[in-house]
Amino acid sequence: MFDVEKVRKDFPILKRKIHGHDLVYLDSGATSQKPESVIKAMDDYYRNTNANIHRGVYELSVESTRLVDEARRKVAEFIGARSEETIFTRNASESLNLVMYSWGRENIHKGEAVLVSRLEHHSNLVPWQELCREKGAELRIIDVDSEGKLVIKTQKFENSKTQNRVFTNNGLTARLGSFEDLIADGKVKLFAVTGASNVLGTLPDVRSMIKMIQSKSPEVTVLVDASQMVPHMKVDVKTLGADFVAFSGHKMLGPTGTGVLWGRKEVLSKMRPFLFGGDMINEVKITGATWADLPSRFEAGTPDIAGIIGLGAAVDYLESLGMDDVRTHEKDLMRYALEKMSVLEAEKLVVLYGPKDVEERGGALAFNVVGVHPHDAAQILDNFGIAVRSGQHCAAPLVTSFGVPAMVRATFYIYNTTDEIDYLIEKIREVPKVFA
Amino acid sequence: MTDYKDIIIDHYKNPRNFGEMDHADVTMDEANASCGDMIQIQVKTQKLKNSKNQRKDDSGLPRFARNDGTEELVIKEMKWRGVGCAISTASASMLSEKVVGMNRADLEKFGEAGIVEMLGGEINPGRMKCATLAYRGLLKIFENNS
Repeated sequence: MFDVEKVRKDFPILKRKIHGHDLVYLDSGATSQKPESVIKAMDDYYRNTNANIHRGVYELSVESTRLVDEARRKVAEFIGARSEETIFTRNASESLNLVMYSWGRENIHKGEAVLVSRLEHHSNLVPWQELCREKGAELRIIDVDSEGKLVIKTQKFENSKTQNRVFTNNGLTARLGSFEDLIADGKVKLFAVTGASNVLGTLPDVRSMIKMIQSKSPEVTVLVDASQMVPHMKVDVKTLGADFVAFSGHKMLGPTGTGVLWGRKEVLSKMRPFLFGGDMINEVKITGATWADLPSRFEAGTPDIAGIIGLGAAVDYLESLGMDDVRTHEKDLMRYALEKMSVLEAEKLVVLYGPKDVEERGGALAFNVVGVHPHDAAQILDNFGIAVRSGQHCAAPLVTSFGVPAMVRATFYIYNTTDEIDYLIEKIREVPKVFA
Repeated sequence: MTDYKDIIIDHYKNPRNFGEMDHADVTMDEANASCGDMIQIQVKTQKLKNSKNQRKDDSGLPRFARNDGTEELVIKEMKWRGVGCAISTASASMLSEKVVGMNRADLEKFGEAGIVEMLGGEINPGRMKCATLAYRGLLKIFENNS
């Protein structure tokens, strides 16, 4: 049974005071806090095992190699994958760039299209903008509706400008429209989409979208940015239907400096390496080299060994809770928060963004305090010990589509409680008073 | 409450020199990429000959007059407009009064330390981009026009 009070005891940082108040950490969407077991795993590694992997025959190197292999197996099993298809990177951004440089540059050509959504984090948008510009391919962007859900069906708006808008800038053509419209001509070669919005929490129905696009473009390659998915719900790459899945380790209780790219073996094995150097080669001669097998081919240089071991411990921790219970806990929190926040909204104190139904929403709650700039709101909340993020959340095209320059965002995770949400609500009421 | 001193609230609620200027010598836009804040700064400038008289300081700020008769660009008037938080708004408002009579060297000398002091001596490091938004725009005016 999920026991949040027991969970909280595992996170040393939650004992901290901020400006004299208990820490209320509502920014796990940016990075999660780390449990004792993750911190200890890394500490143990440095104290007792530290040595470089793969190249030593001595005991410490053998043990370090085994720990990294074990961590890889844990992460792979956690997402229903095989170890050889599970590549460690520094973060999700690097995972996405790896796909862009290795796969994208070889496979996207002039006249083809890359499809993303307006929900994307900059890290799953900017690489594709740059690739399309370089290749003369078209960037297509699925628009969002007023609740921040993807526009799937082609709708007839009275104002025809709201459909299929085309923008050109500096050699890039970008087309904004509905999913159905954008896939109709079968030119989409890559579909790179978020599984959960980091701003609005929107959970696009990725599985059914993949099926739909495959009927129009049978050869389409699918990349899911699962950074806000894997930490919060069960993800199984075998049933998702994607060819690549990218996520970060530090948003799922693991240390910073860790990210993951999963790729289908058939796709990965045809790809050229992204970074060259040590560990990723098979044979090196004066005039060239051959590449190591998967996954080493995509892991040049000494990896973040301690970080990877910490990520393995993070997976153990999440497995011990059970991802279904994690998702249920977060849904309960979001339901509670939306209920309380809608009271403030009715009082015209706040504006809420994102889907109203918790089934269609992950643990991100975006809002603004009426008449107060989000940076000011976030700083005033910080004075009460509440950590929320303010700004554009690395998703400027999404945030500005709601007619505001920025938003405040609270994100929930396994250690958050309904008491903390009550406290947030109470202190949001204090925010406008500072400027009264 | 930290950062939100009375002087900041005052300038936020009653921003000075807010609006558009007729016949500005320089117009400059500056944006804060992380939060979407945008500011437009307009100034009227004046070319002054360096001499002791003109470099007389009445604000307590250090001046670096060369007193060699060369000409330099000095801000005569500043107007600004844009959307921003309390910190960036107050900073732009207060700067619009402070920078009158300043040349490039004065402005560079004023620096981030001057901004913090102007805003009451304490700014959360996470808010320095807000605090210096207008200042960065002003520096560009000299970079592009001197």
